[in-house]
Amino acid sequence: MIEIQGITKRYNKHIFALKGIEASLKERVTTVIGRNGAGKTTLIRILSTQLFPSSGTALIEGFDILKETKKVRQLISSIPQEAQLIGILSPLEQMQLYLMARGFSTSQAKEESKDALDELELYDFRNAPSDTLSGGMKRKVFVAMALAAKAPVIFLDEPTTGLDPLSRIEVWSAIKRLSSKIILTTHYMEEAQELSNEVVVIDQGKIITQGTVNNLLSTFNGKMRAEKLDGEEFDIKIANVAIKYIEQDRVDEFLRKGYDIKRINLDDIFLSKGVSLES
Amino acid sequence: MNPKFILFFAWYYGFYVVLRGPSYLLASLSLPLTLLFMVTIFTHGTLIAFAIAGGPIAIVAANSINGAADAAFFRIQIRIQDLFVATSITSQDYMFALSLSYLVFSLPGIILYGILGSYLRVFSLNSAPWIIGVLVLLTLTISNLSFIIAGLLKHIRNVWGITAILSIIMTVLPPTFYPYSYLPNWILYVLSISPVTPAAVLLQGIVGLERIQYWMLAILFFETVVLTLLGRKFIRWRE
Ligand SMILES: Nc1ncnc2c1ncn2[C@@H]1O[C@H](COP(=O)(O)OP(=O)(O)O)[C@@H](O)[C@H]1O
Ligand SMILES: [Mg+2]
Repeated sequence: MIEIQGITKRYNKHIFALKGIEASLKERVTTVIGRNGAGKTTLIRILSTQLFPSSGTALIEGFDILKETKKVRQLISSIPQEAQLIGILSPLEQMQLYLMARGFSTSQAKEESKDALDELELYDFRNAPSDTLSGGMKRKVFVAMALAAKAPVIFLDEPTTGLDPLSRIEVWSAIKRLSSKIILTTHYMEEAQELSNEVVVIDQGKIITQGTVNNLLSTFNGKMRAEKLDGEEFDIKIANVAIKYIEQDRVDEFLRKGYDIKRINLDDIFLSKGVSLES
Repeated sequence: MNPKFILFFAWYYGFYVVLRGPSYLLASLSLPLTLLFMVTIFTHGTLIAFAIAGGPIAIVAANSINGAADAAFFRIQIRIQDLFVATSITSQDYMFALSLSYLVFSLPGIILYGILGSYLRVFSLNSAPWIIGVLVLLTLTISNLSFIIAGLLKHIRNVWGITAILSIIMTVLPPTFYPYSYLPNWILYVLSISPVTPAAVLLQGIVGLERIQYWMLAILFFETVVLTLLGRKFIRWRE
């Protein structure tokens, strides 16, 4: 379990990246979702002991990130956003170094690395210089690192951002092999729906809502989303798109008015909280 | 301390750059070898021993200062530093590992000059341990200077320019390729700001080309300690 206790982060006079984050994450997989600049990376880096908060703290499985850093670091494996492999080293070499930094013996590091690479179907590439791998494979090597580390808590900061759809599915399937507690961030709604039990939505450094995917969606209670460019009826208007949440029985009526009808998904949680999805 | 991590990192990162990116190795050898050629021509061979003795110093110094680009790249661009922050190693482990990898990367050049220097009777077996000691200290000192630079940078776009300038100034200006006694004392003092100066002066003393200046050892030690402490502060481990 992760208990976040009033974390704030101020980078400088003007940038207040986190404004009092308060949450307890109990589910096995939690997605922190928010658009660019919401504060996801700042939060993950604070929880992973890479960045000091300006105030507040957090407990990871009962250990304080500020007072029990050493213990926390044994429990976690954190893959930074935009992490890239060192081009001239092979996946096996880099995984070994990572595991040795985590206290594995030389032979243990090698064996665990090979097993994890094998499980994620990267075994044949284990000795190739990393700069010869595809983008999706490189990202999977980092998931393999987290897998091999056997850490009870894994942080993955935007593990699929910038990948093509096929590579994204590959990385998703790799993430699904992890049995640890996972905190991942994304700005893709379908990723949160695909991978997690629990969603924390943050915007401008604040949690705007939190809950299981089903719970969050149930607030819409069987409604549908109707949207139309320059439509006259709307609950929200984003750019020039009118969006109205309607009951099932009004679907035909809105179709006749030229609206597109869409199923509710996590996007709507953002929209209904007045958060624009454009960044 | 995690010596196993340090040694493996240094070996993998130092050795595989040599093996898989040999152009970097040749680049690091091109300046000292060119200067060796020029000094030999200009002095009709009389200062060839100095240019040989300075070779390993120049190689080690240039490779260590180029480490600033590495360290900045690892921290800002590819986030390798952050990956290691959240493990059991300390900033000191990480810094040692990187420094040592620069020394490993310098090994082929040091060996080449070792062979040249033995053939021309500039280096002897007796002087070897002292020379290696000076090179190790110099690697540590300049690498830490690199970590300070890397930590101060917000973007990596200027780092290659900065290291290129520093590398030339620090290796060519000090008495690396010419006798330190050519310099008035006050200039020698000023140049001692760069750790390359005490290292080069010591080396000329060790191989018997000039009088040995023990106080330069004190300066080199002092600079190693100060820069290591500053490096640890500036590397931005847990930010
Ligand atoms: N090192 C930093 N210095 C100053 N501002 C920063 C720094 N890192 C992030 N920020 C700012 O903090 C806010 C949150 O950033 P971040 O946590 O990276 O968001 P996200 O990961 O959700 O995109 C942004 O406004 C960003 O510009
Ligand atoms: Mg981010």
